[in-house]
Amino acid sequence: MTENILHIDKNSTNKQQPCEYHVASFVAHAIKKNITQVTEEITCTEGAEIHAVSEEGKIVFTLEASSQKKIGFLIDQLKHHVGLLSLSPIYHQFLTEE
Amino acid sequence: MKTMMNHLVKTLVLLTLFTSSVIAAEKHVATLRGEVNIDTQTTPSAIANTVNKDIKQGRNYPMQPPVIPHKIRNYEVNLNSNKCMSCHSRNRTEESQAPMVSVTHYMDRDGNFLAEISPRRYFCNQCHAPQKDVEPLVENTFVDMHTLMKSKVNTKNEH
Amino acid sequence: MTINRREFIKANAVAAAAAVAGVSIPANATNLITSSDVTKLKWDKAPCRFCGTGCSVNVGVMDGKVVATHGDIKSPVNKGLNCIKGYFLSKIMYGKDRLTTPLLRMKNGKFDKEGDFTPITWDAAFDIMAEKTKQTLKEKGPTGIGMFGSGQWTVFEGYAASKLMKAGFRSNNIDPNARHCMASAVGGFMRTFGIDEPMGCYDDIEATDAMVLWGSNMAEMHPILWTRITDRRLSAPHVKVAVLSTFAHRSSDLADNSMIFTPQTDLAILNFIAHYIIKTNRVNKDFVNKHTNFRLGNTDIGYGLRPEHHLEKKAKNNGKTAGGSSPINFEQYAEFVSTYTAEYTSKLSGVPVDNLNALAELYADPKTKVCSFWTMGFNQHTRGVWANNLVYNIHLLTGKISTPGNSPFSLTGQPSACGTAREVGTFSHRLPADMVVNNKKHRDLSEKLWKIPTGTIPPKPGYHAVLQNRKLKDGELNFYWSMCNNNMQAAANLNEEAYPGYRNPKNFVVVSDPYPTVTAQAADLILPTAMWVEKEGVYGNAERRTQAWYQMVEAPEGAKSDLWQLVEFSKRFRIEEVWPKELLDKNPTYKGKSMYEVLYKNGQVNKFSINQVPTDRLNDEARHFGFYIQKGLFEEYASFGRGKAHDLADYDRYHEERGLRWPVVDGKETLRRFKEGSDPYVEAGRDFQFYGKKDGKAIIFALPYEPPAESPDAEFDMWLSTGRVLEHWHSGSMTQRVPELYKAVPDALVYMHPDDAKNRGMRRGDLVKIVSRRGEVQTRIETRGRNKPPKGLVYMPWFDASRLVNKVTLDATDPLSKQTDFKKCAVKVVKV
Repeated sequence: MTENILHIDKNSTNKQQPCEYHVASFVAHAIKKNITQVTEEITCTEGAEIHAVSEEGKIVFTLEASSQKKIGFLIDQLKHHVGLLSLSPIYHQFLTEE
Repeated sequence: MKTMMNHLVKTLVLLTLFTSSVIAAEKHVATLRGEVNIDTQTTPSAIANTVNKDIKQGRNYPMQPPVIPHKIRNYEVNLNSNKCMSCHSRNRTEESQAPMVSVTHYMDRDGNFLAEISPRRYFCNQCHAPQKDVEPLVENTFVDMHTLMKSKVNTKNEH
Repeated sequence: MTINRREFIKANAVAAAAAVAGVSIPANATNLITSSDVTKLKWDKAPCRFCGTGCSVNVGVMDGKVVATHGDIKSPVNKGLNCIKGYFLSKIMYGKDRLTTPLLRMKNGKFDKEGDFTPITWDAAFDIMAEKTKQTLKEKGPTGIGMFGSGQWTVFEGYAASKLMKAGFRSNNIDPNARHCMASAVGGFMRTFGIDEPMGCYDDIEATDAMVLWGSNMAEMHPILWTRITDRRLSAPHVKVAVLSTFAHRSSDLADNSMIFTPQTDLAILNFIAHYIIKTNRVNKDFVNKHTNFRLGNTDIGYGLRPEHHLEKKAKNNGKTAGGSSPINFEQYAEFVSTYTAEYTSKLSGVPVDNLNALAELYADPKTKVCSFWTMGFNQHTRGVWANNLVYNIHLLTGKISTPGNSPFSLTGQPSACGTAREVGTFSHRLPADMVVNNKKHRDLSEKLWKIPTGTIPPKPGYHAVLQNRKLKDGELNFYWSMCNNNMQAAANLNEEAYPGYRNPKNFVVVSDPYPTVTAQAADLILPTAMWVEKEGVYGNAERRTQAWYQMVEAPEGAKSDLWQLVEFSKRFRIEEVWPKELLDKNPTYKGKSMYEVLYKNGQVNKFSINQVPTDRLNDEARHFGFYIQKGLFEEYASFGRGKAHDLADYDRYHEERGLRWPVVDGKETLRRFKEGSDPYVEAGRDFQFYGKKDGKAIIFALPYEPPAESPDAEFDMWLSTGRVLEHWHSGSMTQRVPELYKAVPDALVYMHPDDAKNRGMRRGDLVKIVSRRGEVQTRIETRGRNKPPKGLVYMPWFDASRLVNKVTLDATDPLSKQTDFKKCAVKVVKV
């Protein structure tokens, strides 16, 4: 899992091919008292799914979208949430679908 | 050229052995020595060159550390400096266009994220190594999960 | 199909994030894909197959194949990390040349020592083995039979083998390859503390102020412990790292104080430190008075060569008196070490006085907590036990022991050198739980626990590893079974001992291995063997941590585990064929039974029903024999140590835990032994108690510097040191078959100082031969890269099957531990 990193690059000029399926996983670390708020916010994000929440507030979730840019956009919306200690991209992979 | 010839010969010898060893009786078993008696030795091949093409090599599974696709001769990684990070650290990748080290490298032993690369990941060579331009002595039949899945799906579709 | 692939990569993404966060995922997500069996991936834990660090890995299995491995985030040892070898574990079982059928040397349909390797059935293989064993028993008795085993055997395999040899065949000629690796450490522990294995644990790394590496290149040989040391050094700026070695290597890159010493002079440096502590008046008098005794050890003990060697004839104490000692007092000890002044030691070792003083200060300063680490530099040493004794001296003089951050720590080379070789006692002189064959009480107890008649176990220690090769050559050891090791590539002096030994027409040599190794090439019969997660196992690591794993995949058809081989072979003997008439006449109840019934189907090993094996688990051995054989062997073995400071937990618990450090008392593991409050075996009010000794006191030994067996001279003008490399495991039989690891380090080169090369008219890449009095090996010169030898010393690793450096090395051993010194002999390097 060393290199499958999502580069969040607003100025990306990368043209996305049509018909791509992108999935990226993240670990969000929420302040304990804000866990509910943060999980709600994630749940409301398009293409997001939460897979686990630990007691200390670590949230494992994925984002699915049709382009890397879209994922970048979505995560940008989330990352400024006040209830967050940290938000780290872990893994990103995409399929070109025939 | 000589290296290539040597490897070619080595590979050919091994290939012949593999195809026949199980069926027919062999004076020798096909070891990593080829068909050479223990009390003798073949002439060692020249020191191979390091692959330096900067082309990423595929990984066998997501958690496998990537191999280094370039030379690292004279790279200092010691108490005072880490040459690898001059290209691969987060704030240098824009300039270098090298892949950034994974976020896992910013975590300490307890899984907390740090601002800088974690000291436990400091010596890059513990996990990452450049590759020599040589052919493997023995084929490896490891199948990665995607190939395995694909072949099963194909079989299913045929039915 | 698209949907499946989508689900699959999504599940990968989830698994990766969960691993990073250390969060567990509900079952439907860990199975990666929910709907389809096509994409089902099953994860399970296992200890790594390689070194003694004992990392835990998660193994991903799909469709009966291992498809992925990564560091186990839940393991306290490695916390999610692996080294490069560990990350490629997935591929070690899949070399194309896995052996799948027994191969016997035959001519005209019959066994022939000079015949060609021919596929035969397992039945036929056991036939010829039984025939050769019985013939040997008839002609030579039990001492004609021998076995060479491994610190890579699982605990049950080592235990079953030890029982087969010592109780079944009544031969003590069983030794593990750990003899080459750990024997001096064992000797050191027994001599100083009276009980084996480290008192401290890895947690001391995070608690210490200074770490000293004695002739150990942990950056390559214990990479994950090295990450912990690096973490500590770089996270806490006051922490210091000192590295002592005979050449500079990767560990030197982290050193605050890097010292290159002349081979063998580590003995002098250790005594210098003791002298420095005394001279600067920093002895912890209270600790020393309460918890230690002083003794003067016998000297001039020889070099463990053949008795006719001139060095052995010359040595005064090379027989039974080698390990002898007499009591002295503190003043006499102080006087003894006073020879080792900084100036004298500096001259002898080549280490500058300032560096020596800085090193000694780490130990002497009462405010500095200090850990010492060592492996092969000390252990593969003709004075290996002494070196171990001497490093304990400096920790005992200062009382820096058994407390957080204060730890003299003997590292282990192999994944179960501690668990299998030492704790089970698969050495030629040992029994389980630190007991020995030449002690009547120990034999009596073992015979009772094994439910065999008194007098079954022979009292005389058997042939150790080096002696086995000598006895093979001399034609006295005629049936020989080598398992889970590659000794033809490992043992020193191949040309004069091992090779003529294996090929001696009087001998029948069986080699069990997953792959055709150099040792297999020298054998008469090769048995195809299952490995790692193709069987259930238990390993014990260097910090006394016992770890278990389940079988996860099937071995290639035809390959069988060592356990299956050992136990199945025992069925080939009636007890009358292996035990003498007198023993049976006195104990007639055993008459008419098979060896299998006496040793394994004895009411204890077969006590646990097959139903206790979880139904969703593979377990080829249990299902073959009809009972949970691994649990039975483990529990019988554990009965030796429970209540005797070697307590193990119940077998099933190890499948739940990421290992537990023994003694496990009242369900709790022990981090540090001999310290009140931490070790349940220390009596209240004692503070420290070294209970391996009757009076609870450890011994500080006065032992001098003595020269090595062979030093460079006019003709053989250089030192040769041999050793391992990060990317390969030992002889490379697994890792050389992983393309990425092979390509990382394909060949063993000889590392030489650029000036030495220049003076010989050589350049990097030149073809050379390394020549000693015993043989030669050809390779290429490397003058740069990870190892930087000083002038006068060359280094060559031994992983390369095609360049056998053990044709050159000397089979001199420590007379106390019988461990070979692979680190120093005299050679010349010439152009081909």
